[in-house]
Amino acid sequence: MAKSDDLARLIIGCKNGDSGCFSQVVDIYASRCYGYFYRLTGNNDASDELLSELFVKLVEKIGSYKGGSFESWVFKIASNIFHDHLRSKQRQKKLLDARKGQLESEITELKQADIEQIDKLQIQLSKLDADTKELVMLRFYSELSFKEIAAMRSEPIGTTLAKLHRGVKKLRELMER
Amino acid sequence: MNSKNEENLKDLFEKFMDAEQAEKRVEDIQKAEQILREHPAPEPDDMLIGNIKAEIAMRLPARRAYVFRRKVYKAAAVAAAVVVLAAVSTRLFEKDVVEPQRVAYASLIPTAIWESEDITTDDVDLAIFTAEVEQIEDEVLALQFGEDGSNGERAISELEMELVEIESDFWKE
Repeated sequence: MAKSDDLARLIIGCKNGDSGCFSQVVDIYASRCYGYFYRLTGNNDASDELLSELFVKLVEKIGSYKGGSFESWVFKIASNIFHDHLRSKQRQKKLLDARKGQLESEITELKQADIEQIDKLQIQLSKLDADTKELVMLRFYSELSFKEIAAMRSEPIGTTLAKLHRGVKKLRELMER
Repeated sequence: MNSKNEENLKDLFEKFMDAEQAEKRVEDIQKAEQILREHPAPEPDDMLIGNIKAEIAMRLPARRAYVFRRKVYKAAAVAAAVVVLAAVSTRLFEKDVVEPQRVAYASLIPTAIWESEDITTDDVDLAIFTAEVEQIEDEVLALQFGEDGSNGERAISELEMELVEIESDFWKE
């Protein structure tokens, strides 16, 4: 975690278009953001794509960052990118459903390949509902406080606490089976 | 900033439930986080990170140009606003200065008379009136001194009538 002074310096550099500062921001956040995307998608290729998209967005939007928690700002963009990805995936699914017969065998092959790659945690995570899974991942990878997460999700802190507790409790039970 | 580590989860839960329940929930969260730590997600490829950095370096000149353009537009907008403001405020200040107003005199007396140096000769009516008054004056004097020789009372009443006539004629015009 970068010290707040260093981070502030990096942000100023990024705002001035310094590629060195952007490189350092990539080094600081790439791993956590990749983990966040990977645990939500369960797919390396999608995570690669989303991570690239995130940093491109950061370059475009750095001027609109007006202070406050930088982590919160970065993960808000990451969350929006993930939701866009979900929407496009749903559109693709609809298209695929139309050609289901043709592609059924291919899809089965792809799914099996994915399953071989993913770990036990990923399998159990897929049993959580999408919103809870996202909340758990946001808390773990963004390292934001509950207050910040609740503000980001525009919900009362009590709701965030209750949802996260339900989610982690279920995840624990699933992992201990 | 590591807000997550600065946060006291137990205190937070205790706002919504009793201490025992809060402690149990904190424990659940900590155990779940332990599970997540034990199962780390894969790290992004070095090649992917390199590609991202290259992409950023490629996009930065375009962003710098965009930022420059925005600054220019902003400066132009500010300049335009200043010009408009200056124009408006100049007009406002101009309105505040009380200009000496042109005095328009409304009068029954013609301008020629105001500007005349010898009113009695320039105004025909006045000249006639003055001449008649002078004539009456002479007649009155003559009567007073008895030069006329006629009946004084008749002459005076004639004069009075003449005066009334002249007066009404004068104001008629």
